[in-house]
Amino acid sequence: MNTTIIKKGLDICIPGTAERRVSDMRLTGCFAVKPTDYVGVKPRLLVAEGDPVLAGTPLFEDKSNAAARFTSPVSGTVKAIARGDKRALLAVVVEADSEQKSVQFQTSASTADGMRKTMIESGLWTLLRQRPFGIIPQADANPKAVFISAFDSSPLPVDIPFMLNGREQDFQAGIDILHTIAGTVHLSLQGGKDNGFLEKVQNAEIHHFQGPHPAGLTGTQIARIDPINKGETVWTVNAQDVATIGQLFSTGHYCPQRMVALCGPVVGNSQYYRTLSGASVEELTKQTTFNELSEPLSDFRLISGNVLSGTAIAKDGFLSTECDKVSIIPEGNYYDFMGWLRPNFRKFSFSRTFLSGFFKRKAESGKRKAFEFTFDTGKHGSDRPLFVTGEFEKLVPLDIYPMQLIKACIIGDIELMENLGIYEVEPEDLSLCEFADTSKTEIQAIIRNGLEKIRKELGL
Amino acid sequence: MILRDIFDKMKPNFSKDGRFEKLSSTFEAFESFAFTPNTVTGGKVGGGYKGSHIRDAVDLKRTIITVVIALLPALLFGMWNIGHQTAISYSLDWGFWHQLWFGFLRMLPIIIVSYVVGLGIEFLFAEIRHEEVSEGFIGTGLIISMIVPVTVPLWQLALAVAFAVVIGKEVFGGSGYNFLNPALVARAFLFFSYPSHMSGDSVWVATPFHFAGDAVTGATPLGQLMAGQPLQASALDMFIGTIPGSTCETSVVAILLGALLLLATGIASWRIMLSVVLGGGLMGLLFNAIGANEYMQVPFYYHFLMGGFAFGCVFMATDPVTAAQTNCGKWIYGFLIGAFAVLLRVLNPAYPEGMMLAILLMNCFAPLIDHCVVARNIKRRQKRWATAERRTA
Repeated sequence: MNTTIIKKGLDICIPGTAERRVSDMRLTGCFAVKPTDYVGVKPRLLVAEGDPVLAGTPLFEDKSNAAARFTSPVSGTVKAIARGDKRALLAVVVEADSEQKSVQFQTSASTADGMRKTMIESGLWTLLRQRPFGIIPQADANPKAVFISAFDSSPLPVDIPFMLNGREQDFQAGIDILHTIAGTVHLSLQGGKDNGFLEKVQNAEIHHFQGPHPAGLTGTQIARIDPINKGETVWTVNAQDVATIGQLFSTGHYCPQRMVALCGPVVGNSQYYRTLSGASVEELTKQTTFNELSEPLSDFRLISGNVLSGTAIAKDGFLSTECDKVSIIPEGNYYDFMGWLRPNFRKFSFSRTFLSGFFKRKAESGKRKAFEFTFDTGKHGSDRPLFVTGEFEKLVPLDIYPMQLIKACIIGDIELMENLGIYEVEPEDLSLCEFADTSKTEIQAIIRNGLEKIRKELGL
Repeated sequence: MILRDIFDKMKPNFSKDGRFEKLSSTFEAFESFAFTPNTVTGGKVGGGYKGSHIRDAVDLKRTIITVVIALLPALLFGMWNIGHQTAISYSLDWGFWHQLWFGFLRMLPIIIVSYVVGLGIEFLFAEIRHEEVSEGFIGTGLIISMIVPVTVPLWQLALAVAFAVVIGKEVFGGSGYNFLNPALVARAFLFFSYPSHMSGDSVWVATPFHFAGDAVTGATPLGQLMAGQPLQASALDMFIGTIPGSTCETSVVAILLGALLLLATGIASWRIMLSVVLGGGLMGLLFNAIGANEYMQVPFYYHFLMGGFAFGCVFMATDPVTAAQTNCGKWIYGFLIGAFAVLLRVLNPAYPEGMMLAILLMNCFAPLIDHCVVARNIKRRQKRWATAERRTA
């Protein structure tokens, strides 16, 4: 068994990882599909408030990509259509019926074209992501390969093999479908760990990765397995979505099942919940006990996804697509007296400018628990020009120069961005740089802007 | 907290449409000096932000204060040495504390002038640009005062600092955008504008207060070698730093203490420090092998001990803004600084010290070095693209 060891990177050990305990959520309350979860989607609404829908009924579609049809996860009534600035569509909210009914999709197709058609009709197609740019692929797209990561290395990691328990056959069926449609499928697992049935999955090339975050990100894995060249595309699919694809082809019903972990330092009972994509986060937090916040903390933030690249959601918001966990951390909106001077054992820093920095290795390996770091959403400093050099290089296990790439994105030089490897990254691949950056620059937004500039230039 | 309440009460006056709106940058500088700001990722508490929600505890203030702490051993030693040199030269019977106190009194005006002029300009530019005041000069201002002769006329120093901050930094956009090390720009300004006050034998020893007679001369080791005189100081003296020289750069021991802190905290690049020493050492060895004159025969490691080599290597070559930014580039950049510094010392008849000019020269070439290093990465990538294209074709 070959294991690729990733050396560069950083594991940020936030207390409050989810325990392997699952609660099944009843499908009540509201569910939402949000165009803002996707890159470059221009939504055209297909339903109105009050319309009855089934699980699998299209709610809106993408004007620029006929293959992207976004379907309802539940049957019920369209309760609200949320709009933001300039009437931009933010979310379509569906209130679930007590009894669930689904659209019956055609699943007898045995050819790749037939499978594509079913995936597009049922909304499964929107689960695919195409790199570069992180967009939903066109109907006739032919990727070089499909990459699936069943290894979460981000802070507050979830156990993906555990989350797929009971969905073994659906997962295998999903892999088979992707294999038929797209050819090569690469499945990356965590090395040195029991991955259960995932080790024996057919029709996929199995790879093992080991090391600190971002070893579990598809961006890191693609770079080691088969890097993206100019003009090439690959697809990535979330591991749970693979099972959703398989499930539709065996039952004919669209049922975007999701295991979601509620975790973080303020959660008293960190655990997993089984629900559907787009579920109301309020339904989940009702089940949660929260630890008392101590001074100066007064509030917390819900993040759909991990704390390094996820999306902040309101306390009555909805899970984003692709979300495996809701990370809950305290807001850091407090003043810190002489914060730049005090030695401070509780603050976490990748640099060794805090005394805690000298002990963190030991704390990480579990040998020593003397220092439990506190994490919050505070920026811990003011914005400055990109100043310090050399820190990004220790965090990015890709063959790119992060600082130079970021600067190329800032000046918007397309040729330079291409040459420096923009096609090999998504913003999340540089999320650790954003975390560690002394100058507090919003690096992921800069990378996204760079990618969007190229995408518009190419007319995709 | 009382202090926090005071700031909160004052804040509306300094924000937009407040009475003192024009001084908002100044207020922000003092407020963020006292308290790390309460800003959160995404700008506001609540939903919508996508990105990294947690941030590292380090910020630029923390980075700069670490550099300042690293400078303290050299600063304290330098103060004592000012008194020590004066006591020796004028045959005064001063104890340790007296020497330190004399040096402190001599250093204080230099530091004050450097900070007042430099920070004054920084604050002014920040207000005009409606930006926050950058903390970069907290380090630069101290470094400037540590690399000038103790007898420097304060008006010259003020001019030099103003020149360095305006021409060396602000015209390019402020801290983080400059391509020359501002502290060295100040020193170079003094060096070329007022050479008689910056070199020679009479500038390195401070006269005692209320002293009426002629100033006593005290030659630096570099000055002695330049003049073809035998070295008076032993290697140990130079290592410890009990020799005449710029205010705070004579003691290699004290500088090494600072270097230890910078390396332990990871603030300064070990690649640059090591490669400067390697470059200087190899060039020194080369001259030893040629041995055409007395200066070439000076043992190669003497170069590490004399003049500003150690100080420049630890505190100025490693300035991240003006150094090479790529890891490979840092090796080349540092090596060439070391090599050029020794080359200039030995072969250039005009200036006794080569470190300042070597660093400034390599500051200019650092972007070119990086460009070449990055070009190799680009070439590798384009080659991969070409191979992939052939494979599919």
